Amino acid sequence: MKQNFYIFNSGRLKRQENTIFFEKEDGSRSVIPIENTESIYAFGEIDFNTKLFNYLAQKGIAVHIFNYYGFYSGSYYPRETLNSGQLLVKQVNHYTNRNKRITLARAFIESASFNILKNLRYYNNRGKDLGGVINTIEGYSSQIASSDSVDGLMGIEGNIRNAYYKAWPTIIDQEIEFERRVKQPPDNMVNALISYLNSLVYTTCLGEIYHTQLNPLISFLHEPGERRFSLSLDLAEVFKPIFSDRIIFTILNRQQISEKDFMTEVNFCYLNEKGRKTVIKEYDEKLKTIITHKKLDRQVSYRHLIRLECYKLVKHLIGEQEYEGFKIWW
Amino acid sequence: MYVIVVYDVDQKRCGRMLKLCRTYLHHIQNSVFEGEITEAKLEELKVRAKKVMKEDEEDSLIIFKSRNEKWLEKEIVGADKKPVDNIL
Repeated sequence: MKQNFYIFNSGRLKRQENTIFFEKEDGSRSVIPIENTESIYAFGEIDFNTKLFNYLAQKGIAVHIFNYYGFYSGSYYPRETLNSGQLLVKQVNHYTNRNKRITLARAFIESASFNILKNLRYYNNRGKDLGGVINTIEGYSSQIASSDSVDGLMGIEGNIRNAYYKAWPTIIDQEIEFERRVKQPPDNMVNALISYLNSLVYTTCLGEIYHTQLNPLISFLHEPGERRFSLSLDLAEVFKPIFSDRIIFTILNRQQISEKDFMTEVNFCYLNEKGRKTVIKEYDEKLKTIITHKKLDRQVSYRHLIRLECYKLVKHLIGEQEYEGFKIWW
Repeated sequence: MYVIVVYDVDQKRCGRMLKLCRTYLHHIQNSVFEGEITEAKLEELKVRAKKVMKEDEEDSLIIFKSRNEKWLEKEIVGADKKPVDNIL
């Protein structure tokens, strides 16, 4: 399996000797094996040049760039090599046809709420009293099937998330101030973690979409806005409970992260470099975790699950097999 | 799969071997590389290495394979010059 590379130091990234060299400011350099690179995450202050981008495009490697505070700013998305006009037409068709779009949007929300419930049940079985929340969310998710507009679905999704977040102080053993989700900017530790991890999930989904014929701009649940790859938001919805929420619970309960890993001097709560590294390490491990796939009967990594999800979507679009969102089976 | 690749080639071809191996694996010591690699990529590396090497001049490449990094116990005596890490 190819690796992701995360660069926190400042320096220069360049093509040399047919691979990538990262030169730190102090002159020391590390070599990144290009044949073994999935994508590069740039957190530090890094110089790039076009020669490097040309080479990365040739190898199909995306670069995701994050700003000083660790917020996602954008991706270098190399030229599409897997193009399919036919599929694009079908994808657009599924967006413009109301019924077809709702079917897909429903499938995304359904599996997202299933995965959320799975998380809650897991902690419920470990002596945390979450029965009330589980009932509330089950109530909301029973409305999914009857909802007939995308806005309605988004509303249900919002309600589910709100109820879910209310349960977080019970799940997390550390003393946290977390009542509701606040973005732009996050106002406390947990919100900062959610923002950070969600942006990572989002980039991973984008990277996997790149390796399929799907067009990342046309989405079904989220409105295909301008300036962002909204299909990866749709996919991220399904995987957020597994990747980002579970990591947050684990690292906080294991005391791997505490208030000192955040920058609080500004009113907001950003992760500092040490905190970011801890989270990245967990995230990378998570992506590499290997499980046996029930249907395929072979070993796959968590990251590969996202790719399989893309394939299922393709199959749905070309009318080969009905799409059914990913549901945790373990 | 996790591998350790070691080569011994004539001085004239050392540089080319180094550059080739570096595009696939982490360079940990002179003519020693290690890292996670897929079976297909390893085949590719072998094919490309054969083009660099001259087998009749006793150039060789040795590959130690391990299912997973977990099964490899690594001990470093002295200085750890080049740590294998994907967080830079």
